[in-house]
Amino acid sequence: MISLKGIKKTFNKQPVLKGINLKINRGEVVTILGPSGSGKTTLLRCLNFLETPDTGIVQVGNIQVHSEKVTKKEILSIRKQSAMVFQHYNLFAHKTVVENVMEGLITAKKMKKKEARNQSEKVLAKVGLSEKLDHYPSQLSGGQQQRVGIARALALNPEVILFDEPTSALDPELVGDVLSVIKAIAQEGITMVVVTHEMTFAREVSDRVLFMDEGVIVEEGTPLEIFNAPREERTRRFLQRISSETFFTQPKKQVN
Amino acid sequence: MTIDIPFIWIAFKEIVKSLPITLILTVVPLLIGFLIGIAVALVRVYQVKFLYRAANGYVSFFRGTPIIMHVMLIYFGFPLLINQISERFDLGIQANSIPIILFVLTALSLAAGAYLSEIIRSGILSVSNGQLEAAYSVGMTSFQAMIRIILPQALAQSIPNFTNIFVGFLHTSSIAFLVSEKEVTGAANIVASTNLKFLEAFIAAGMIYWGLTIIVEGISFLLEKRVTAYNRGGVS
Repeated sequence: MISLKGIKKTFNKQPVLKGINLKINRGEVVTILGPSGSGKTTLLRCLNFLETPDTGIVQVGNIQVHSEKVTKKEILSIRKQSAMVFQHYNLFAHKTVVENVMEGLITAKKMKKKEARNQSEKVLAKVGLSEKLDHYPSQLSGGQQQRVGIARALALNPEVILFDEPTSALDPELVGDVLSVIKAIAQEGITMVVVTHEMTFAREVSDRVLFMDEGVIVEEGTPLEIFNAPREERTRRFLQRISSETFFTQPKKQVN
Repeated sequence: MTIDIPFIWIAFKEIVKSLPITLILTVVPLLIGFLIGIAVALVRVYQVKFLYRAANGYVSFFRGTPIIMHVMLIYFGFPLLINQISERFDLGIQANSIPIILFVLTALSLAAGAYLSEIIRSGILSVSNGQLEAAYSVGMTSFQAMIRIILPQALAQSIPNFTNIFVGFLHTSSIAFLVSEKEVTGAANIVASTNLKFLEAFIAAGMIYWGLTIIVEGISFLLEKRVTAYNRGGVS
């Protein structure tokens, strides 16, 4: 359903993606791991053309585009196939919670205001924010804001939801809340691509884990394969570093 | 020389009759300038081909020269231009039949457009890129994103600057007096010279300007509080 062929991207002559090939099936939950600077966020952003790849073919849903000669119209239609949850939430600051969720329905889906509001309220109930409909983002905690972000993405009923480190900016005590919402969505069978540093989450939720480093996908497999028996040296080193950081608090979860 | 305090009140009553002209000379240029400002700001933000250079030149010229000069240039230059054009195309328009206030309004509007475009442009640039990305991610076109997400926030954040410009233009409208448009300063001058009481008349005019400014600041404060409530944890 999603397919990437030969995606390359360079920032200031610095190659960030060095030819990514990837296929993701409908309903699959894929997490992307990797050290910072490995290109995982850029890869995610190439999926909805917040970054335009230098070369390569991107397909989302039934829209396929060549990134060298992509038009504005194609970018728009590919964006309408997906929705994104951002690291810093990026809620529309001048709109209330329910308006934030309605916005995409009204503009991109051409829905009537009333219908959009109904649907938005339903989705917000799902993420546990029925009480906060008329609050502004600035009045919410980080965890609540991110749940609005998730509701905004979910309401669009997209082919795929892209999560860009959805819990990295949150206080540790709020992370659990947001992760359990994402987990619940994952179980509904929505296709998701998640860039994350939450190893436990990746292990529990994903169908497939990609490990990226220096602009290439180094290794991919089921969570079991990646976490318990990584084949590549680089993956092993990365996981070792991550697990040694949590060694004192969670010795059980140490891998290798 | 002594000061005739009661005359200040007499002058005040006389001068305040010209207040509508001052208000027209302030509000109309700012409204027209606002439209010009948005258009110019968008052209410059999006770097629209060719237009972009013209917009840069426009802003540079009108911010780089005193407003009094724009008034003079248009007051003396436009009649020539209009007569030439009228003659060539046989339109039968006489420049001296055009009310002076239109020349002043044109000059002030063009100046206001240049100043406001810079305020609006900086407002647009101050909205975080994440807002735009979020708008794109839900499938908005760049036009929708600009109209529904970026501009409302940019304009709300610019309210203090708009107030500054409003106050500035309220006072700048006194330039119209130089081309014999009878607004507050012009009226003060007339009252002053007919009664030979300059100090009193200009004190009265000063009180009018100051009073108006205080009112404008008050309105702006309330407006700002309302419009940017979203930013300060206020309840909708």
